[in-house]
Amino acid sequence: MMKKLKNSSWKAFLYLLPAILFLGFFMVYPLIDVFVYSFEEGYNSASQTFYGVGMYNYSYVLHDPYFLQAVKNTFILVIITVPLSTGLALLISVGLSSIRALKNLFQTVYFLPYVTNTLAVGLVFMILFKKTAYSDGLINLFLHWFGAGPVDFIDGPYWAKMFVLCFYTVWIVMPFKILILTSALSSVNPQYYQAAKVDGTSKMRTFFRITLPMISPMIFYLVITGFIGAFKAYSDAVALFGTNLNAAGMNTIVGYVYDMLYGDSGGYPSYASAAAILLFAIVLTITCINLLISKKKVQY
Amino acid sequence: MPDNGHADRLGMEIAMENQVDYGKIERNAKRRETVRKTITYILLAFWAVVVLFPFYWMILSSVKSYSAYNSEYIPKMYTLSPTLQNYADAFTAVPLARYFTNTLIFTVLTTAIMLVVITLAAFAFARLEFKGKNILFVLFLSLMMIPNELVIITNYVTITNLNMRNTFQGLILPSITSVFYIYLLKENFEQIPDSLYYAAKVDGTSDLKYLLRVMIPISKPTLITITILKVIECWNSYVWPRLITDDENYYLVSNGIQEIRENGFGRENIPAMMAAVVVISVPLIVLFLIFRKKVMEGVSRGGTKG
Amino acid sequence: MRNVWKKLVCSILLPVLALGSLLSLTGCHGAKGMKAFVIPEHFDMDRDYEITFWAKNDTNKTQTAIYEQAINDFETLYPNITVNMRLYTDYGKIYNDVITNISTNTTPNICITYPDHIATYLTGVNLVVPLDALMTDAQYGLGGSEVRFDAPTVNEIIPKFLEECYIGDHYYAMPYMRSSEACYINKTYVEALGYTIPEELTWDFIWEVSEAAMAQDADGNYLVNGQKVMIPFIYKSTDNMMIQMLKQKGAGYSTQDGEIQVFNDTTEELLYTIAEHAKTGAFSTFKISSYPANFLNAGQCIFAIDSTAGATWMGSNAPLLDIAEDKIVDFEVEVKAIPQFDPAHPQMISQGPSVCIFNKNDPQEVLASWLFVQYLLTNEVQTAYAETEGYVPVTSKAQDSAEYQDYLARCGEDDNTHYDVKIKATKLLLAHIDDTFVTPVFSGSASLRDAAGQLIENTVKSIRRGQTVDHAYIEQLYSDMNSLYRLDQLSSGNGVPGAGKEDLGKLPGTAVILLSSLAVAWVLIILYVVWQIIRKKKAQTGG
Repeated sequence: MMKKLKNSSWKAFLYLLPAILFLGFFMVYPLIDVFVYSFEEGYNSASQTFYGVGMYNYSYVLHDPYFLQAVKNTFILVIITVPLSTGLALLISVGLSSIRALKNLFQTVYFLPYVTNTLAVGLVFMILFKKTAYSDGLINLFLHWFGAGPVDFIDGPYWAKMFVLCFYTVWIVMPFKILILTSALSSVNPQYYQAAKVDGTSKMRTFFRITLPMISPMIFYLVITGFIGAFKAYSDAVALFGTNLNAAGMNTIVGYVYDMLYGDSGGYPSYASAAAILLFAIVLTITCINLLISKKKVQY
Repeated sequence: MPDNGHADRLGMEIAMENQVDYGKIERNAKRRETVRKTITYILLAFWAVVVLFPFYWMILSSVKSYSAYNSEYIPKMYTLSPTLQNYADAFTAVPLARYFTNTLIFTVLTTAIMLVVITLAAFAFARLEFKGKNILFVLFLSLMMIPNELVIITNYVTITNLNMRNTFQGLILPSITSVFYIYLLKENFEQIPDSLYYAAKVDGTSDLKYLLRVMIPISKPTLITITILKVIECWNSYVWPRLITDDENYYLVSNGIQEIRENGFGRENIPAMMAAVVVISVPLIVLFLIFRKKVMEGVSRGGTKG
Repeated sequence: MRNVWKKLVCSILLPVLALGSLLSLTGCHGAKGMKAFVIPEHFDMDRDYEITFWAKNDTNKTQTAIYEQAINDFETLYPNITVNMRLYTDYGKIYNDVITNISTNTTPNICITYPDHIATYLTGVNLVVPLDALMTDAQYGLGGSEVRFDAPTVNEIIPKFLEECYIGDHYYAMPYMRSSEACYINKTYVEALGYTIPEELTWDFIWEVSEAAMAQDADGNYLVNGQKVMIPFIYKSTDNMMIQMLKQKGAGYSTQDGEIQVFNDTTEELLYTIAEHAKTGAFSTFKISSYPANFLNAGQCIFAIDSTAGATWMGSNAPLLDIAEDKIVDFEVEVKAIPQFDPAHPQMISQGPSVCIFNKNDPQEVLASWLFVQYLLTNEVQTAYAETEGYVPVTSKAQDSAEYQDYLARCGEDDNTHYDVKIKATKLLLAHIDDTFVTPVFSGSASLRDAAGQLIENTVKSIRRGQTVDHAYIEQLYSDMNSLYRLDQLSSGNGVPGAGKEDLGKLPGTAVILLSSLAVAWVLIILYVVWQIIRKKKAQTGG
């Protein structure tokens, strides 16, 4: 009685039609279009002309110190925030799993940043860290208690700005990671723990030899999505530093694409497209590497 | 001949020593446990403070009056004369309520249409057999890797050419597509046993009825997950609305707030800007607190599936 | 049968579609120029027209009201024309929006603009309407016979202002309002420091007094105002600051052909001086610290340089105030021309909105837009708008009108329409009209202006971060500004953007690292995958 419905092809097509239409129109077509743009050299929105077809756009973008600065910023952001947030989330999840009282309260509190608008809360961070003519800002007050001098985190030295950006990014991504890890931890079969206890294994050993490998697929998932998400950082930086990110030296690759398209110097969709494709290449590479590593490491 | 009494006494002494050992071990273990628990609580409490403090500061700043705020050379952690003037200012200076409504409409419509589209597509992939199904699915998956920022450039031109800038259609249509949710839902649909389907077929139910009557109710948790994730994504949407709306009446909360910060009263009047921020953040937080369990379950399910 | 049909369709139709869409896409990216505008014989009054007007106002509700009144009055005269206004608070945003709308053919009909911006719009073919023929047309030109209101004639527009709208070989805009920059001085504090304000301000005087004002007592309060905050000299538009300083020194900024001369030694000297005073905290800018008016009114600034239009915010009794009431300090305001290097030959920038018309396929629509532009030049609109802030009407007709002269005469009568600081600033400009200048206009001159301002901003920011400003720093700054504003695309010398794509030279280090790491990563990935496949094969055959 295993009737396979052969003539459901047209029906399936009908079901898929809305999805195909939307995806085709708003994803596939733009993808091809952007490719085409990236090869039309120096296309300018105002004049609507371009020099010719070739690699000039890529060359221009790669020579642009602001693009390279954006690449640097994005990479630093990724390298700092992904391991840090994942590690911290792991620590907190382990802590959460081992207590009973107040657990719900903590979980609720930790999840708050996820349901807020990141741009809005970013403004709060901005005023906490910013040094104006009127006041040094609250964070500088804390620093003062420790005897450190006032640092302008929003308009000041590069390391300070990077610090705020990383801190804010970690703050934003923690809720999701904590949640995933706590549910992963709670889904580990308690029999393993009991067996370990009977064997008299120390807590540390239990953690590293049993817990970690069991939740490693989740950790890798978080790392991969963390990488991809961090590469696309933009609105966080805008919340903290305003829309003129190039001048602040804190632009990200996505911000560069956007500024090229719409910024103060007029529209250059060609350069924006070239930069966007470079971003795509970077993300693709890193995702592939991550996938290969996780295929290898995740075994239990 | 061994002195059994001596051995017994020795044995008893050893046994007594062992007993003391156990007691001590237990006490030590308990102490270690308490220390560990305390440290854990301190760590958790610390992060909780870090999470909550910006919210506290947000609310605090929004009730400080403008002059009081500016005259605080050292920011105060409290205020002696709270005022609601800032909220009045925020609502009158910009159409904050408008931004709100716009975001609400945008979120509801986008999520609703998206649900329809992906349910149909996931059903096709999970349940129906057709030629080229696998290839098509792989194509869909590969689309998942395309970052939004890549397609934004052309979508902008497309939407403008269709004269849909500063309209809800322009905001909504490109935001509907998401392959990730199709994938998620498909996985979920595939978990529904074949037997249910064949039984329905025997009864003569059409595919559509089966989808509506059987599959959707069973997959409700996943659908709720997807809804929650999409709602949060829409609420946070910034780049796309910023690009295609320049009419104040169509701003969403995120680019509305950014406008206030850059060109509006937020440049000077920080407390009023904080009032606007509070107003924007409150609804989702309230919703979250009400549906707390559902939301957290939903998100974690969505994450673990991926 | 069906299967074969389906196979055919799939294998042929899909690739054809894909190819077709690809080809059509490449065709999409091109100039879709319009035909040149020709004045129609007759303005068709039987048709209805809807025109869009992108206006700028300075968060001043009165100005919005004036626009709306003008639109109402105009629509009463021409009931078949509807004007839809969109308000902006920033010229730059209008510029950005127009550019992004060019490619989609959705430019407004009329917009407030700077000649710099028009130069970029002109790179599109027939995008902006040349106004020469329109101005002199007998029927619909300035003061023409068919015009239903009392518009000024060409001769009644101040020639200097009109000339500023001449770009290339045509008039592409009509001036709307004009202003300049002025220095608003806290006279009370200057005299408290023991100085008297000279007839003509000099840069040396301002620097000297600003440094004197930095004296503090033991608690960190500034002696001159007893507060913890004092920034004696704040300049609102650093681009104007740089441009005017260079002009006063006779140094290079740019030429009519688009040659960029701003990165020179005089600029370097000026930046050193600015750095020196930024270091002590005596100087800051709007972007770094905030509105000069707010500091001035709170007694935390002595020399606030802003547009004459900004006079409405300056002073303890100003009609428009942005700070809390209890923060306002009482003091005497003096309005002077901006500081000069050579007081005998003062030079100051001329700025202010102009209006341009965008070409449309329907010449009647363009004509309707032109009629509205003319209406903006009538006395009612000119005097009303000029009276909202320190603007000067652009027509001699309005300037000499009884109403306007009366307005000027009643300086100080009240703290609203006849606010004395505002009228003093206006009179300042009227007295110095011949000393004003504009910078050369070419495509990209807007970016160059931004770059000039950013030179100062970056210098001050770096000083505040404790960096040293020396020759190496200035070299780096010049090169950074070149890239940030894509000035290298202009320096081909003939003002057309990127008339030639230039040889960009070697790839910088980071780019090389990026590209090579990507390449290496992919090589490794492919090797790894191949290795895995081989291993699997071996396991299958070996096992």
